[in-house]
Amino acid sequence: MPVSKEYLFKRTILLAFVVFGVIFITFMITRVIPARPELLWAGPHATLEQIEEARRQLHLDKHIYLQFILYLQDLIFGNWGISWRTRAPILSDIISSLTATLELIIIAFIIAVMAGIPLGILAAIKKHGWIDDVIRVLTVIGASVPVFWLALIVQLAFGMWLGLLPSAKRVDEWVVITTSFKPITGFYIIDSMLQGNLLVLVNSIQHIILPAIVLAAYPLCLSARMTRAVMIEVLSEQHVRSLMAWGLPQRLIFFKYCLKNTLAPLIASLGLSFGYMIIGAFMVELVFVWPGIGFYAAMSLLSFDYPAVTGCVIIVAIFYCIINTLIDIIHSVIDPRVKL
Amino acid sequence: MKQLEETRMVLNLIIRKPISLIALIIVFGFVIVGFLAPYLVPYPEDAWGLAYNVENRFSPPSLQHLFGTDALGRDVFSRVLLGARFSLMIAVGVIGIALIIGIPVGVIAGYYGGKIGNFLMRVTDMFLAFPPLLLAIVLAATLGRGLLNLIIALAISWWPWYSRLVFIQTNTIKNMPYVDSAKIAGLSTFRILYKHIIPNALTPTIVQAALDMGSAILEAAGLSFIGVGVKPPTPEWGLLVSEGWQSINVAWWIAFFPGLAILVTVTGFNLLADALRESADPRLRRTILMRLGIKQ
Repeated sequence: MPVSKEYLFKRTILLAFVVFGVIFITFMITRVIPARPELLWAGPHATLEQIEEARRQLHLDKHIYLQFILYLQDLIFGNWGISWRTRAPILSDIISSLTATLELIIIAFIIAVMAGIPLGILAAIKKHGWIDDVIRVLTVIGASVPVFWLALIVQLAFGMWLGLLPSAKRVDEWVVITTSFKPITGFYIIDSMLQGNLLVLVNSIQHIILPAIVLAAYPLCLSARMTRAVMIEVLSEQHVRSLMAWGLPQRLIFFKYCLKNTLAPLIASLGLSFGYMIIGAFMVELVFVWPGIGFYAAMSLLSFDYPAVTGCVIIVAIFYCIINTLIDIIHSVIDPRVKL
Repeated sequence: MKQLEETRMVLNLIIRKPISLIALIIVFGFVIVGFLAPYLVPYPEDAWGLAYNVENRFSPPSLQHLFGTDALGRDVFSRVLLGARFSLMIAVGVIGIALIIGIPVGVIAGYYGGKIGNFLMRVTDMFLAFPPLLLAIVLAATLGRGLLNLIIALAISWWPWYSRLVFIQTNTIKNMPYVDSAKIAGLSTFRILYKHIIPNALTPTIVQAALDMGSAILEAAGLSFIGVGVKPPTPEWGLLVSEGWQSINVAWWIAFFPGLAILVTVTGFNLLADALRESADPRLRRTILMRLGIKQ
C-alpha cells in the first residue's frame, strides 16, 4: 500500500525539527552548561596554548547566538574537531568505524527477532501455563542482566575457559594477511562473500557470534514480551473469538488471522530495541574489542577525549531519529489507521 | 477506604504467585541491606576502600571471604554489600529528581494546553528523541565523575518519561465532570490542580516510578562501567565489575559477584513490575505499554 506524499513530507519536516532539537540540546550540554568548555575540549593534559587554540575553535570569544550558528556551520561542513587520542579528524574516525557496528547490530537484531517472536507467540498461546511462566521469568531475567557483565562472563566462559570461539576483534590478523583480504563495503561478511574468500568468511562469522548473542539478549527478551502482550491482545479480539466459535482449527487462526495483526505494533516497538542496542554496543564492543563506533565512543569516554565523545553522541542520536522515522513510516504502511 | 482495598487486592495478587513473592523478598532485602549495609559489612575498611592488604590479594571465595578478595586484597563481599547502599541512593535520587521535574511539567502542559502546553511537550519530545542512556552519557562526561553528577545526569535524561505520562493523565482527567463541577463551584485553579488533578494523575506515575528503580540501577551501573559514573574507590556495582575486569583471567570472582548483585536486584524489581502489569488495572497497564513505546 503506498504512503501519501503528504505524510512523507510531514514526517521529513518533523524529522528535521527533531534533529535540530537534538543538536540544540547537545550544544547546550557541551558548550553552555560547562563553565569553561575549552578545558574539556582540550583534554586533561593540555598546555595553555592548546587551551587557547580550543577556545578559538569553539568560537567562545563570540556572542552566544553566533556561537550556535558557527557550531551548526561546523557540523554541516564536517569540522567536528580532532580527537587527541587518535590524532585524526573525528568525523572520518566515526565514518570508518560505522560499518563494523552496523554489521554487529544487524546480526544481533536478526538473532533477537528470530528467537524473540516465536518465544512470545509460544507464551501467548500457552497463556498462564507453566511454559508461559518459564518464558516470562527467563525474559525478565534476560532484560535485567547488565550487558557489560554478560559480555565479560560470556567472553570468559566461551572464549577463555572452553576456548570454543574467538572473543576479541572482528577477524584474525593472520587470516587477513595470508589471504590478502581487502574490505570494500566494510561489512566483512559481505566483503568476503563477494571476494569468494571462504577463510575470512568463516573466521569473521566465528568472531561475530559471541558479541552478537550478548548484544541480542536484551532486545530478544523485549521482543518476546512485546509479542506475548500483543498476541494476547489480538487473541481476545471479537473477530478471533468468532473464528474460534465457528470451530476453525487453532493453527489456522493463529497463523492466518492473528500473526498479521501483531506485526504493526511489533514494528512500532523495534525503534526502542534499536536504541538499546546501539547503547549496548558501547559496552559490548569495548569488552570484545570490536572496532566500531561503540568501541570508539567508550575508549574516548575512558580517556576523557571530549570532542570525540560529542561527535559520537551527535551521530548516534541523529541515526536513532532517522531509524525511528523510518519505522514510523513502515508502521503507517502496514497499519493505515496510524496518523502522524 | 477504597484505596486500602485496592492496595490489599494488589498485594494479594502478588503474594499468591510464588515468583512474585520471591521478587518482593529480593526488593525488600535490597532496601534493608541498602539502609543497614554499613553495620552489616564484615570488613568495613575494605568496603569503603580505605584499607588494603596486598599479601592477601586474589584469594578465591572461602568462608572468611565469601566472594574472595580483589587486586588490593579487599573483601569483595563487603564491597558488594556496601554497593547496595550506593545503588539505592542512586535509584531513589534519580527517580526523585525526575519526578520533581516531570510532574509539574506534565501537569502544567496537560491542564493549560495551548501554547504553553505545546511548547513544554515539544521540549519533552526533544529529550525523548535521544536513545536511552545517550543523553546521560554526554551529561555525565560534561559534569565529570562523581555520585551527585551521576544522579543529575540520569535524572535529566529520565524526567521526560514522567512528564509525558502525567501529561496524558492530566489531559483525560481535566475533562471529567467532577473537575467541571469544581470549576463551577468557583475553586481556584491551584486548588483544582492540587486537590483533584494531581492526586488522580499521580497514582500510575508513582507506581511506574517505583518499578523504574531497577532500570535506574542498571543504567547507573552501565555509566560507571564506561568510566563516567562514580569515582573509585566508591563500591558502586558497575565500577566494581569494571575493576574486576582488569584481572578477570586471574580472579573471575571480583567482577562476577557485583554483576550478579545487579542482576538479582534488577530482576526483583522487574518481576514485580511484570506481576503488576499482569494483574493491575488497565489504566496502569496502558501507561506501562506507552513507556515501552507502544502507541495505543
